[in-house]
Amino acid sequence: MRRAAGWALAVVVVSAPWLVAVAVPRQQRYVLHVLIFTALFAALALSYDLVVGHVGSLSLAHPAFFGIGAYAAAILATRAGWPFLADVLGAVLVAAVVAAVVGVPLFRLTEHAFAVGTLGLALVAWIVANNWVEVTRGPLCVTGIPKPVLGVGSGPALTVTTLPGYYWLALSALAAVVLLYRRLTTFRLGRAFHAVRDNEPLAGAAGINPLKYRLLAFTIAGALAGGVGALYVHYLSVMCPEEMTIGLTVNLLVIVFLGGVGSLRGVLLGAVLFTALPEALRLAPTWRLVIYGLLLLLVVVRSPEGLESLLRRAGARRAAV
Amino acid sequence: MGASKWPPNPQTLGTAPARPSRSSVTGCATQGPRNGCPQTPKRSERPGEAVALLGYATGAELIFDLLEQVLHGLTLGAMYAMVAAGLALMLGVARLINFAHGEFFMLGAYAFWYAYSELGLPYALAALVAPAVMVLFGVVYQRTVIRAILPRSWHVQLIATLATSIVLTNLAIIVLGTQPKEVPTALSSRILDVGGFRVAWQRIVVLVAALVMFWGLQRFVGRTRIGRAMRAMSQNREACAVVGVDVQRVTLVTFGLSAALAAVAAALVSPLFNIFPDMGTALTLKAFAAVVAGGFGYVNGAIAASFLIGITEALAGTYVSYAYKDAIAFVIMIVVLLWRPQGLFGRRIGI
Amino acid sequence: MALLEIRELTKRFLGVTAVDRVDLAIERGELVSLIGPNGSGKTTLFNCVTGYLDADGGRVLFDGRDVTNAPPHRMARLGIGRTFQQVSVFPRLSVLDNLLVFVQQHQEEDLLARLVRTRRQQHFEAEAVARARGLLELVGLADRAATAAGALSYGQRKLLAFAAALMPDPELLLLDEPAAAVNPTMINQMKAHILAAHRQGKTVLLVEHNMDVVMDISRRIIVLDGGRKIAEGPPDVIRRDPRVVEAYFGR
Repeated sequence: MRRAAGWALAVVVVSAPWLVAVAVPRQQRYVLHVLIFTALFAALALSYDLVVGHVGSLSLAHPAFFGIGAYAAAILATRAGWPFLADVLGAVLVAAVVAAVVGVPLFRLTEHAFAVGTLGLALVAWIVANNWVEVTRGPLCVTGIPKPVLGVGSGPALTVTTLPGYYWLALSALAAVVLLYRRLTTFRLGRAFHAVRDNEPLAGAAGINPLKYRLLAFTIAGALAGGVGALYVHYLSVMCPEEMTIGLTVNLLVIVFLGGVGSLRGVLLGAVLFTALPEALRLAPTWRLVIYGLLLLLVVVRSPEGLESLLRRAGARRAAV
Repeated sequence: MGASKWPPNPQTLGTAPARPSRSSVTGCATQGPRNGCPQTPKRSERPGEAVALLGYATGAELIFDLLEQVLHGLTLGAMYAMVAAGLALMLGVARLINFAHGEFFMLGAYAFWYAYSELGLPYALAALVAPAVMVLFGVVYQRTVIRAILPRSWHVQLIATLATSIVLTNLAIIVLGTQPKEVPTALSSRILDVGGFRVAWQRIVVLVAALVMFWGLQRFVGRTRIGRAMRAMSQNREACAVVGVDVQRVTLVTFGLSAALAAVAAALVSPLFNIFPDMGTALTLKAFAAVVAGGFGYVNGAIAASFLIGITEALAGTYVSYAYKDAIAFVIMIVVLLWRPQGLFGRRIGI
Repeated sequence: MALLEIRELTKRFLGVTAVDRVDLAIERGELVSLIGPNGSGKTTLFNCVTGYLDADGGRVLFDGRDVTNAPPHRMARLGIGRTFQQVSVFPRLSVLDNLLVFVQQHQEEDLLARLVRTRRQQHFEAEAVARARGLLELVGLADRAATAAGALSYGQRKLLAFAAALMPDPELLLLDEPAAAVNPTMINQMKAHILAAHRQGKTVLLVEHNMDVVMDISRRIIVLDGGRKIAEGPPDVIRRDPRVVEAYFGR
């Protein structure tokens, strides 16, 4: 029964562009736009959950890696003329290297200092993006980022120009991230991450080096965030410093904590809810943040495990009946 | 722009387009009279200009400029210190991480502006209205949010107070608008001229007032009964409850005190800088950097680190690079932590 | 050469010397108890040896190798297993997973291998599961294999922690108060388990307050008081040593 539902859902998700064209023909562009954002944001949220939910480090630096990847891709594409696949790869690598390099000193700090340090990193990244005008053009933004071209060398290539095309590209990226997420959070690696999260001293007694595993999760998460950033700029064809502000952290926190920290379904659910809903309601950004803030406050204080645990409990009750 | 932009867009450090250095509270500090910044006229205006020492006609000019920057740094440091001291107090006494602390400053600044510019109250009175309002606000905040999160893990505290900060900041944007407010007072434009060395009177007021406040804080914490209770709580909470210390009351007083400190800092400093809704965030971060560098929960350490940050920021801002000076606080924090992970003054117990 | 050798180990806390130039040596195959009144420094010693505290002076040698101040995970990989005074498990992991975590160290770091489920990986995983189930049978927790460790009773968690420490097949077992805060039946169980592990060739050093257990199973006893070693010898000798009596009961 559940497997059938799962397949049905997959079919719906993949054929969304057609469904949308039939259901709301006049709003097609807008709805597809929201779907693309949702897919990208879900991938970003999953990468964030790796650090916060599975290894238990409250990092507030994710906007930095998103931004670093985004700018790296943007600059490689516009200034150095790199092809799409290459600049995405470049973005992923740059973000990974930065994450690994700053991660080493950061993880030697106590938990509180770590949080403040990551917040500082996000701030510094924004300052650099806004002021290193020779490279990032600061508030003027990097523009003219070309459309994604899927192809290698001078062989046959597919240029993604239509919204459905972008959607499937984003969806593929999300699928890849989901697979990686699952692989990282189960079996030996997953057990090691969870051990470090739940009882660091005991993890040490079990032969697990907490620093190594935290750094690993942090670096992979940073790399993924950079990759999402790269896809993002190829979609929007523009990259500005405002994309990497602390507001992004708040959005991610909302998605992860309200959706269900450490849970694949929860985070996906949270991403869909908290990306699509505000768009549907056409909330002004300031009002959206006020509401998000209040929601976050409420949920974190009352029920820290988020919606997913509520769902699980509801499901359990249903099964018992 | 609006709906087509990625959701996580606005909020601090990025909303308003046209302001030059609006990411920092010190927007006007080294800019000079442009953009309506009420300020002491500066000799070398442009960022990085001072590198061209050749531009100085006499050695005296160079010295004066340096002294001005140091004084400016002290003013900044005093402001950071008052904010950081409150933060350290809450951390030390109540083990509370309050990411909305900067909003005490922001709201206090607006309260002061309202009292002084809109209601027309005299400066001294308006400067007292700000902390009074903020203490009230602090009590409400304590009763609602803080009391619920105090017994919880610091993750919860951090996220909850970060959320509060976002809510307050954006409400301020909605209600008060993003245009910065100026509060020029009599003393902010009156210049003291000592043989070529010029400084706005207001800066001297800030420094003196800050020193007075720190002295008062020391006496309060050192001599009064509540102060003793605060120190006791910071050293051993469980024992306090057993011995009969009213933990709730002491926490409330500490909270009010930290709010008041931030608000007074706002009232003192508002005549010198612009007031805008997201000034709180950058300030919170720098205050945290100071608290962490000074030794988590050690008030004097936070104060010392704040002055270090202030002076370095001012000097680096003028002589090295203006654009990146906001990053200074974190660079200092990271350097300190790498060198001495327990903070500048080592592991200490209590405030 | 002794398996574990501690030379002049010293640890100070803010003016209090918790461990004061302690010397001790444990030979392979021994079963030694470390006793002493509360606050005599036993657990601090354990923590220094296993890397949770940095010693202020002295040396720790394991199998001839200097491992002073090595981090806990390194000590674990060298073959030292331990339990904690406040029983420590991974509450959100299942009982089985709690044990599986302890064999991380036997498979070395190949990120790619971990991402791709190679045949070798699956084989290793199966072996680990088999071994874990065997240990669970041993301690009587086999039927709770899928339960979250946090849901177990205190005594069950102690058994789980013991089994987990055995999982990587360590040479040296450091047990911190295995008989504390459990009922007499459980105490007998623990005694049996410790003796069984010892018979299999493990070297055991335990910290314990329960004198019956100590006198019953130990071959040698070391006594600490106020951070210093005050006596050492077989149970009969220690039982009668006036210094030991004085340390416990005062003058």
